[in-house]
Amino acid sequence: MHEPAGTDSRTDPHWRDGPWQKAGQRLTAHRPAAAGLTVLAALMLAVAAGLVTGGGPVGAALAAGHQSLTFALLAGLGGAALGLLWGGAAVALGERAERAMMAPAIALTGLPLALVLPLAGGLLGPGRGLAPMAVVTALIAAPAVAVVARDELRALLRREFLSAAQAAGLTGGRRLRRHTLPNVILPLAAAAWTALPRALMAESLASLLGLGLPEGVTGWGTAIGAAARTGDAMALAGPALLLALTLWALHGVGDGMRLAFSTTGGRR
Amino acid sequence: MSGSGERAPLRVEGLSLLTSRDILLDRLSFAVEPGEVLALSGGAGAGKTLLLRALAGLAPKGVTVLGDIRIQGRRILVTQDGALDPLRPLGAQFTDLLAHQSGLDERTALRRAAEALERFQVPAAARRLALHPHELGEAMRWRAALALAMAAQPALLLADAPAAALDPTQRVRLLNDLAAWTREAGTALLLAGRPQPDPVHSGLADRRLILAQGRLEAPEEEPTPAPSPVEPAPSGPPILSVRDLRVAFPLGRSWRGEERWLTVVDGLSIALAEGETLALLGETGSGKSVLARAILRLVPPVGGQVSWLGTDLAAAPPEAMRRARRDLQILFPDPLAAFDPLMTIGAQLAETLESLRPTRSAADQAAWLAEALEEVGLPSAVLDLYPGSLRPAEAARAGLARALLPEPRLLVCDEPAAMLDGAERGDFLALLRAIRRRRRLALLYATQDAAEGLGVARRALVLLLGRIVEAADSAVLAAGARHPYSRALIAAARLARPALHGDPPSPLRPPTGCALRLRCPLAHDGCAQVPPSLDTVAPGHRVACHVAHDDAQDGAQVGGRAP
Repeated sequence: MHEPAGTDSRTDPHWRDGPWQKAGQRLTAHRPAAAGLTVLAALMLAVAAGLVTGGGPVGAALAAGHQSLTFALLAGLGGAALGLLWGGAAVALGERAERAMMAPAIALTGLPLALVLPLAGGLLGPGRGLAPMAVVTALIAAPAVAVVARDELRALLRREFLSAAQAAGLTGGRRLRRHTLPNVILPLAAAAWTALPRALMAESLASLLGLGLPEGVTGWGTAIGAAARTGDAMALAGPALLLALTLWALHGVGDGMRLAFSTTGGRR
Repeated sequence: MSGSGERAPLRVEGLSLLTSRDILLDRLSFAVEPGEVLALSGGAGAGKTLLLRALAGLAPKGVTVLGDIRIQGRRILVTQDGALDPLRPLGAQFTDLLAHQSGLDERTALRRAAEALERFQVPAAARRLALHPHELGEAMRWRAALALAMAAQPALLLADAPAAALDPTQRVRLLNDLAAWTREAGTALLLAGRPQPDPVHSGLADRRLILAQGRLEAPEEEPTPAPSPVEPAPSGPPILSVRDLRVAFPLGRSWRGEERWLTVVDGLSIALAEGETLALLGETGSGKSVLARAILRLVPPVGGQVSWLGTDLAAAPPEAMRRARRDLQILFPDPLAAFDPLMTIGAQLAETLESLRPTRSAADQAAWLAEALEEVGLPSAVLDLYPGSLRPAEAARAGLARALLPEPRLLVCDEPAAMLDGAERGDFLALLRAIRRRRRLALLYATQDAAEGLGVARRALVLLLGRIVEAADSAVLAAGARHPYSRALIAAARLARPALHGDPPSPLRPPTGCALRLRCPLAHDGCAQVPPSLDTVAPGHRVACHVAHDDAQDGAQVGGRAP
């Protein structure tokens, strides 16, 4: 932290703020994150309003957004939970297990996993249900979350205040409850967030090809694909713009969270 | 600030640096003469880097430069990171710079580059020119960066805390070589750095300016630290005894399937009596810090024994271990990092107290905490602050308060003042000493600064690659250390040129025989054969060095002189 010479950190009006407030301030100080949060909130409201009023190309795009966002949220949360479990278990089970569990995760992050979803859609056929597709999406999003979560946990376990807690005679269980878990929440939230744009991206790509969301469920990808096939520029513009905006906002917030919360310094 | 006038390579008059909000530097005036070494001292955030950047014409955006900077001849700034182009070999960087600055052709430039590296005792300098910066060690990269700057024959060299991250023996030798060279070449050298110790004293610098709160201050006559009152040597049975302690970390298996280990502490034995003070001196990789933690069982040892009041801590049941933790407390090198950022200082102090002295009532506890803070000179308002709101000096004191809460009998310090500078550092160490005397604490003080360690503790051990190379009373070591490594450490603490050359060996491949032999000026063939044993050369003075043993047997006095 380089402060300009001659200024005292105590002149900062927020110097007494607690660590959670400071984390929030760091997040919103990152402009793409602040903008992304605003966009996401506006989008949620618009989608909710669009469901009520409906009608027209805008209403259709917003309705498609409802399907896409719901799916991405569910599948993304599933993927995040799976990834956190994966990384957490690897760290908890000791060094040998960690190496064995993380090697496949690292290998998988190098592959174009997004292509697995249309493949699964094709294999499952036109009668596919939503649930299996959501499971496959979650599996796609999990490895990257697992790798980041493992790195964050390792970095946290090396931190000095855990040694200090041990020197203060705290047992392993209390150290975990009082110091490790609270400190791991924000870095892991940053890791988990990356699953959301990944899930939305994979689903939209598969739906664009007609191999994503099952028939009868229209997401942004489905709408874009249909409009492209009929050559309807007006119908294409709405969902395409909304999808791009949402992905940008999700990534912006994700970047901000990584920079503001990460123990590993967000240098990844 | 007198000066012979026009030929001074750097003359600054009324230099002020302003932002829209603050005055960063306030009306500085000074000059540097040719061949002069001017040390620019100041604590963290005093504006040293900013001043050097402004002098190099690289003031950051949004900063207004007022006043007069007159520079005669070529100026070169070596930045804090000693940046070299990572993508190009050293030789190409030399030829580029020299061709650009002096119009030298490639062969002459390469020859001059090799000569420049040889000034810093780089072995096989000509071959190193083919290497990229990442293929060099940290120390070698610094030698290359400074050699590159000097090869261009600047009239003014601005060096911003050069090699600050290197170990003292390497850094001080490099700075001395650089100063000798600039004096010889008639280059004015402006050397920014930490305020202590005084570089003029040792002859490293000719003059010293102190930058504090944006203004230049004339250096005050430093009060010579009061010699610590001579205490009677503590007697009695040892309260802490460490026998043959080994700490090693597994590195996985080699391709032949052998387990590989990184041995950090290699069979160390220590005994400490009630109220005794012992310094552990050593640089990076000496094992002092791991030893300190292994004693408190924060790092599991792989062999040997640590006993506290006769109880073997490895076999101690949880209740006995907790009683031992009451007596054994530690100060960490980064006190801020040793506090949980999500809990207030008060909550963390209370947690320590509850864990180690659980019998106290709530009201009793609050008074106890306030008292502990008062003892280290902090207001009780600090209890409500989160660690993120503390300054480094306050965090160091809060860490001390936490360590003192359970009323320990032994305080293990792992470079507790490493994050502090100047007056803050001195104040903290004085406080630590006063509290130690008042509470009659035993102290184990690990540091790489020999002057600090010898000043704090009555006895000292010098560690190298996890082994003791010399053990003696601090006064004996300060007056006449026998081991070349001890002498180098003590010299470096005074900023005198240490007699060790080269870089420390990798702990993964320690040399055969004596661990120091590749850097030692006294090494002979015998040093490669067997590791020297730690033998008594005088009552209470043990040394592990083949040469020192021979000298002792010959009756020759090696003394503190650097060869």
